[in-house]
Parts: sequence; C-alpha cells; structure tokens
Amino acid sequence: MLIPLVLVGAALFSLGLIGFVTRRNLIIIFLCTELMFQGIVLNLAAFGRYPLSGPPSLDGQAFAIFLLAIAAAEAALGLALVVLLYRYRGTLDANAYKVLKDS
Amino acid sequence: MLLAAETASSLMSLGLTLPLWPLLSAALVGIMLASGRFRGMAHVAVIAGALVAAVLGAVWFVQLAPAGDGHGATGGVSMDIAPWFSLGDGQMVGFNYYLDGLTGVMLLVVTSVALMVVIYSVGYMKDHHGHRERGYERFFAFLGLFIFSMLMLVLAGNFVLLYLGWELVGLCSYLLIGFYYRKPEAAAAAKKAFLVNRIGDFGFALGIFALYQYILPHVQPGENALDYAVVFRHAAQLTADQVNLVCLLLFCGAMGKSAQIPLYVWLPDAMEGPSPVSALIHAATMVTAGVYMVARCGPLFANAPDALEVVTWVGAIGAIYAATMAMAQYDMKRILAYSTMSQLAYMFVALGCGAPDSAVFHLYTHAFFKALLFLGAGSVMHAMGNVIDLREFSGLRSVLPTTQRLMLIGCLALAGFPLLSGFWSKDEILHAALEHNFPVFVILLLTSFMTAYYTFRMYFLCFHGPLRLPAAAGAHPHDAPPVMVLPMTLLAAGAVLAGYLGVAIHWGSPLDSFLFVFQGHGWFHHYVHNGSMVVTPVEHGSGSAVLYYVSAAVGIVGIWMAWRRYGTAPQDEPDRKSFGPLWLLWHARYYVDEIFDAVFVQPLRALGRLFFAVDRAGVDGAVNAIGGTPRALGAVLRVAQNGMLQSYALTTALGIAVLALLWRFVGTP
Repeated sequence: MLIPLVLVGAALFSLGLIGFVTRRNLIIIFLCTELMFQGIVLNLAAFGRYPLSGPPSLDGQAFAIFLLAIAAAEAALGLALVVLLYRYRGTLDANAYKVLKDS
Repeated sequence: MLLAAETASSLMSLGLTLPLWPLLSAALVGIMLASGRFRGMAHVAVIAGALVAAVLGAVWFVQLAPAGDGHGATGGVSMDIAPWFSLGDGQMVGFNYYLDGLTGVMLLVVTSVALMVVIYSVGYMKDHHGHRERGYERFFAFLGLFIFSMLMLVLAGNFVLLYLGWELVGLCSYLLIGFYYRKPEAAAAAKKAFLVNRIGDFGFALGIFALYQYILPHVQPGENALDYAVVFRHAAQLTADQVNLVCLLLFCGAMGKSAQIPLYVWLPDAMEGPSPVSALIHAATMVTAGVYMVARCGPLFANAPDALEVVTWVGAIGAIYAATMAMAQYDMKRILAYSTMSQLAYMFVALGCGAPDSAVFHLYTHAFFKALLFLGAGSVMHAMGNVIDLREFSGLRSVLPTTQRLMLIGCLALAGFPLLSGFWSKDEILHAALEHNFPVFVILLLTSFMTAYYTFRMYFLCFHGPLRLPAAAGAHPHDAPPVMVLPMTLLAAGAVLAGYLGVAIHWGSPLDSFLFVFQGHGWFHHYVHNGSMVVTPVEHGSGSAVLYYVSAAVGIVGIWMAWRRYGTAPQDEPDRKSFGPLWLLWHARYYVDEIFDAVFVQPLRALGRLFFAVDRAGVDGAVNAIGGTPRALGAVLRVAQNGMLQSYALTTALGIAVLALLWRFVGTP
C-alpha cells in the first residue's frame, strides 16, 4: 500500500510546484504552497504507517497533526500578508513584487 | 670712527636685503589681489620695491668700486647669508652672495632699468581713457617677481643659487610672454620660450653636475665645491678636457637664455609679451644672463681655449645672421629682437676673444639704449592701437614728436653713431676681435654696418614719409603721457652718457686719441676688473684710434644708406628689388621655424601621439580589463537575480531535481 500513497503525495507536490511556478496570482500561489505541503504531509503519514523497516509507528501521523496546526497558523499569516500586499500595491500579480530593495 | 664702521655695517646688512624688496612688493600685490581692493594701486607697491632696489643697487655699485685708481683690485668677496642644504661629503650649499665689480654693474643695470620700466608700465598698461588693462595687478606682481629673480641670479655666490635665479627668470619670462594668454600666439610663444630654454638649461645643469664631479677631488676641507670662490681657486687644477667640457655645457645654458644660434628661435616670438616686458626681460636684463654667466665663469673659460673658440664663432655667426633677418622684417619689435640677438652675439664674441670687460661694457650700454628702443616701440604701439607693422603707418614724427626724438637717440646709439654709448662699447668689441681673429672682425664690421642700416630703415619707415595711420589708431593718436616719457628720457640720457664711464680722457694726437680726446678702457674697466674676471691685459694708450674712425664711418655710412633708400618711407621696399630672393629668405627668417617644426616638433609630436595611443590602448586597456572582468561576470549573474519569486522557486526545484538525479545515477561516495 505504500507505493500508491507515495505516488499520490508526489502528485500533490508536483501539482503544487507547477502551480507555484506558473500562476501569477499571489493567492493561487499561496494555495499551491498549501498543496505542496499536503503532499509532504501525506508522505509522512504513509511512511509512518508502512515503514521501510521495523514495525509501524504513529510518529508520521503525529507529525501530520503538528503540521496541520502549523499550516493553519501559516495560512492565517500568509493571507494577512497577501491582504496587506494588495492594499500596498493594488494588485496581486507576482510580477509587481519583484523589486527587492526599498522603493 | 666706530660709529662710521657701525653705520657702514648696518648699511651693508640693509644692502643684503636688496633682492627681497621687489619680492616683498610682488607678494604685497598678491595680497591686494586676494582682498580685491587696491587693485589699481598695484603699481605703487612694485614701484616702491623697485625704487628701494634701485637705491640699494646704486649704493652697492658705489661700494664695490675699487679703491684708488682701480689698480688696487681686491677681488671678489663671498658673503654667506644662511645655510641652505647639505650635499653629503661635508659639502654644503648656502645662500651666499659673490660681490665684485661684475656684480656691481649688473646690480646697477638691473635695478635702474627695472625701475624705469616699472614706471613706464603705469602708463603703458592703461588705454587712452585711463582704464587699466585686464590683469594690471598680475603684470606688476610678475615684474616684481622678475626683479627679485634677476637680482638673485646676479648676486648668487654659488652655482646652485645661480641656477635657481636662472630658472626663476625663465619662469617670469614665460609668465610675462604669456601675459595676454587669451591670445593664441602669446600662449604659443610663452610655451616655445620655455621649451627652448629648457634645452639650454639642461646643458647648463649638466655643466654644473660635471663641474661638481671634477672640482670635488680638489677642494680642501671646509670648502664648498660649488661656491664661485672655491671653483675659481681650483679652476687651474682641472684638466683641459674637463674644463672644456664644463665650459661648453655651461655655454649651452647661455645659448638658450641669451638667444644664440641655434636656440634663438624663442626670442622673436617672445615679442608677443607687453612692450615693457620686451624692454626689461628680453632686451636689457634676462637675455644678458648668459653673457653675465660666461663672464662670471671667466676663470673657467680662460682655461678652455676650445670652448672660447666655440663661443667666438657662435657669436660671430649669430651676429650677422640675426642682422640679415632684422633687415627684412616689418614688425618693429621683431626687428629690435633680432637686433638684441645680434648685439648679444657681439658680447659673446668679446667673451670669446678674451675681453669680458668689453662684453660687460656693451651689456651695460646696450641695456639702456635697447630698453629705450623697446619702450619707444611700445609707445608707438600704444599710440597706433596695438599695430606695430611698419607697412601700416609712416610719417609719425608729426603726431608722436616726443617718441620720435627719444627713438632717434636710441637708434643712433644702436647704430654706433659716434659719441653715443653704443659706439664706445661696440668699438671695443671690434678692437678685441681685430686682435684675436681677423675673419670674425670682418664679420662684425659688416654686421655693424648692417645694424646701422636696418635700425634706420625701421626709424625712417616709422617716422618719416607721408603721415599714414592704421584704422586702429583713431583719428588723433596720442603721444606718450608724462609717466612714459620720464623713464624714456632717463634711459635716453643713459644711452647718450653711459658710455663715458668706459672711455678714458687722454689728450693726444688724433691718431691715438679719437677726436684728440678719447681712448678706450676707462674707469668702467677698472671697476669690472675688480673681481673674478680674467682679462687679457691691455696696455693703456696702446690701441690706436684708427678703428674708432673706421667704425664711426661704417655707422654713418649705414645710416646714410638707409636715408637714401628709405628716407621717404617708400612702400615698395627697395631692398626687395636689390637683394631679390635673398631678401625673401631673410624675410622668411631662413625658414628656420619651419625647419625646426618639420625636423623636431612634428616628429616629437608624432612620438607623443604614439605614446598617447600606447597609453590609451595598452596601459589603460590593461587596467580597464582588470576592472571590467568582474563587471562582465556580474552582468551575466545579474540576470539570475531578477527579483521574481517564481523564477527563484523554479531554479530551486530544478536544482533539487538535478541533485536528486545525480544522487540516483552517479551515486554517493
């Protein structure tokens, strides 16, 4: 059962990565990072349940729970930043935010 | 008695400050300039400085007179003022003066002519409405600096100090030739003068170095090898080759400064400077520095017969060469410049013939009448609205009567008209040449005929004939104002009377006394013999007076010829018809400037351009390449740092993918 789970995790991560690189809207990009996150979480849970050696443990699922909590906090912070950026520049196009220095 | 000694010594110590007064006045003008007020008063300070210098110079002249009838000569006195720097080997170079008859004459000439010229400049440097020329105060500051430098040159008691004064007068000459620096010709002339002098000065410096090398083994402990007194004491110990080499190198410096062949080319161009500068620097004082130096180094030159031969011939050829060019010029100041070169060449002939006293005598009389002529030419130029070309005006005697009378005196003195100062000194040089070298004597006699001729050609073209005025002169040209007439009058008095210091009154037959009364070698000669000068002894009353009559006749015939041909200021140039292509060659100044330009200037300029290109492409290129490499690298890398979040993410993802693939297929160690 390990392989399908890992494959689904990899697919989730890849979809997230492709979206992250190709999309222009910051909210979509943000959603794509969440997607990558969930692919990794699935990976952790899968390897916890079907380890390559030794007996199964709950460590992977415990990590998954932790990560969900952290992801929630991060989503709140990230969305707040996105809102601020929109107020700041009136757009959410990622190309508008390529100036790294103070303007 | 004690009081008298104290007075004398305090007078002496005041006298030692002689060169500092003009320097002080120049500095004062500089301060006035900085403050911006009193600009129009600049001349007051410099006249005061020059006046103090002239008074002290006259005092020194009297002080340095030999006791008794002059036969009790005491020799030169070296006077230490302050130490300057150490050369190692226990050798010191100090500020010291060397005082003897030669110094006395030079002090008198420099300070008196300088005072006259400074006074004249007050009038000259203003236009007819009394407005000061641009740079009025700068002009006076430079004049003050020049007087200081020239006095340092003549007072110097060692070769290093002489060189210092030598270079300082060169600098002042450069600054004053280029006074009208907005005029391209003036700027070019200043540069030319500086560069040509540099060639001579290079030889001069080498001469001093060689002298130091050669004299050092002979000096005693406590003696400084470059002091005149020490050099003269040990001059006889040098070998003939050494002393010839030193003298020829020193003469290189004299050729540059005194405008002798081949380094004379700067002097005619130097006439771009204001006329008072031409009078003071390029006629009366600075250009005579070479003559002074050779006369000063008499004990060296006396042991260098080969060098003296060179001096004689350079002088003889230069004299006639300059005279031919002077015959075919139209620029009054240039005629006078060539005439200056010719007269300086006379002095060098006298030096070469072992008669430095006659050379210095001619230097002294020449200073007065040549300064007068230049000031007169300046007065004409001032009245003609800065036009000085003889083709542009004539018949000025009706509008400039004062200038005309004063110029006539100067021209007569230069032409060697009997009983004027130039006659006495020029005749002595002819006499010295006759005794030593007959071909040179013939050349000089021909030159003195030509001198009389071209001087009066200039005079007649300027003052005689119908009145014609250039447009720049306006309808009513003004004769010189009193402030210009006064110094010219005093110089004219000098041009008439100065020569009598050098003739002896001796009643006798007309064959051994000129006009029953005069014989050569008077008080002046005793005066200059008191010092380092080495003179071939002349017995009193030995010279027959025949030569006086000959040179008087030559001068008068020259003037008469000029009168016949130019007395009505003809505009069709009779000489051009008589001499044909020769005249054109003279008029073109033998194309020497063009030849020098083609042979020296252009190749050097091409070399300079080559070096410039090498510097640009090679040296600068290498430095720029070193700087450019990181810049190019940065230009490539900068593309990656575009600030776009997504391209960073892509790069990161691809990088991880590559690492993963490497890990998978290449493997880990």
